[in-house]
Amino acid sequence: MRKKKMLGYHRRRKLLINLVMLLIMLALLMPLWYVLNNAFKAEQEIVRRPLVLRPQDFTMDSVIRAFRALKYPARFLNSSIILVVSCFFLVTLGSAAGFGIALSNSRFLNRIYTILVAIITLPFQLAMVPLIFMLKAMGLINSYLGIALVYTGWFLPFVIFLYTGFIRTIPKELEESGRVDGCSLLQSYWHIYLPLLKSITGTVLILRGVPIWNDLLVPMITLTRSTLATLPLKLFSFIGQYGASMTRWNLVFGGTFVVSLPILIVFLALQRLFIRGVVSGAVKG
Amino acid sequence: MSDTSTIRNYKGSRRKWSATTRRRFSCFLFVLPALLVILVFFLFPMLRSLQYSLTDWDGIGKEAKWVGLENFIWVVTESSFRQVFINTFYLIILYVPVLNVIALLLAIAVYNVGKVGNVYKSILFFPNVLSMTVVAFIWKIIYSYNGILNQLFRAFGLESLAQDWLGQAGTVLPAMSVSIIWFAIGYYLLIYLAGLYNVPVEIYESAEVEGVNPVQKLFRITIPLIAPSITINIILSTIGIITLFDLPFVLTRGGPGYMSETIALRVYSYAFVTLQTSYALAMAVILGIFAITITLIQLRFLRRREDVLL
Repeated sequence: MRKKKMLGYHRRRKLLINLVMLLIMLALLMPLWYVLNNAFKAEQEIVRRPLVLRPQDFTMDSVIRAFRALKYPARFLNSSIILVVSCFFLVTLGSAAGFGIALSNSRFLNRIYTILVAIITLPFQLAMVPLIFMLKAMGLINSYLGIALVYTGWFLPFVIFLYTGFIRTIPKELEESGRVDGCSLLQSYWHIYLPLLKSITGTVLILRGVPIWNDLLVPMITLTRSTLATLPLKLFSFIGQYGASMTRWNLVFGGTFVVSLPILIVFLALQRLFIRGVVSGAVKG
Repeated sequence: MSDTSTIRNYKGSRRKWSATTRRRFSCFLFVLPALLVILVFFLFPMLRSLQYSLTDWDGIGKEAKWVGLENFIWVVTESSFRQVFINTFYLIILYVPVLNVIALLLAIAVYNVGKVGNVYKSILFFPNVLSMTVVAFIWKIIYSYNGILNQLFRAFGLESLAQDWLGQAGTVLPAMSVSIIWFAIGYYLLIYLAGLYNVPVEIYESAEVEGVNPVQKLFRITIPLIAPSITINIILSTIGIITLFDLPFVLTRGGPGYMSETIALRVYSYAFVTLQTSYALAMAVILGIFAITITLIQLRFLRRREDVLL
């Protein structure tokens, strides 16, 4: 009797929570719907019917114009190269360092590890200005390698933190048995450990790849040549052309839509991975 | 350790170094490349900032003359600095508590609804994968005079509430904070959720049998038990908002006037707009000290609370 009553209470409570959540979700999705539906209409329709897309108003015009004005394929390529090179450095250097720290029992490396963890939270702005002058002196301004090294130096402490934490959970006997079989450290890194690091590498790519792909500040200060611009940087300068008043809303909506499309597709395909990545990164943090 | 036994496995153990030292050295070699990149491209420039903030270095000329705290005094006594500092502080207050309370409540809701929660999680997290440039442009239009927000107010007969949200001193920072919360909330929600899943279900079950009401449950059980998540989130969100650049930069560029300019934006404008390098360095150092101090204060306070609550 009492149990039945409690079940009823639970169901009612669940329903109530779901109702409230539904309203909140609608409010949260509204800005996205605002962009999505307005990216496919003519300019004058945006103010007249901001949240309704009638079939007879549908047009790809703004999207196509934004796509052309952004020189989308070239920007996409720039963004991709920067992402791939940066992530390559982060994953190779980060996993190797994590491996070295986790397997050595040296107090020296542990101390270095403590320092690395402490500098994770230091603001990038503190390094920014001398870094730019240094890159200029080294000829690494307007270079894919230069910007990738900036991201690598900035994000490596966090990536090493993730890899070290993960490798420490792997039983050390694994490496010791490899050693008995005559594996050098390099061999056991390559053949034994690297295959085990797939999931944590996924986490690293999500937690640091997404911010790199989306970043505006670093491209803005290291890539002054317009042909090297990334998608967010080009979007910024493209919309900036229309001034602070942003009079051409259709192009703003079309532009934000095409720029967000790749990450939207990746997110929809890998939702679970994204969410698991953030959670596992946070739990260790 | 098994170090003595492994020595026998190495045929060339007659070298000068013992196996342990050699092993430690090769471990160090694995760390070295990463360390070099961090040193050259992150730590070294940081030390340079500290050093050159005390000189009149302009980045180009070779000679850097020691000027003591002159740069710091200049940027701090500059007429708008007070406003910029207040803005930074005000934004923390507008952002951190609101974000954390909403994220925690939503996490509890998601926790309680079972499987549908996965859909909510995805929706809440999605803005977080968008570029802040995109997010800022979206909200710039939402807040503009003919934007959807004002249109909704007018449609519901609240004409008087329709205003230029980003163009007025009184509304610009709250409006900015809302857009940042919309962007960031999913991330913090996931951290809270991870904390909630770590609480043993039995505790809630027995609380229910005892007839504990939801409010008591929140303050007496949930919050004390997920205190570590709260600590992480408060610190992460505070550092995040202090150093945030992209979103405020695209949304308002510090305007109107400098009513929404933060320390982080000012570092940029000294460095790359007005090209006053030594002031940029002083401002960056102030930003660093500000971020570190606030983090340490929070850490101390929150850790102590964690102890009390547990």
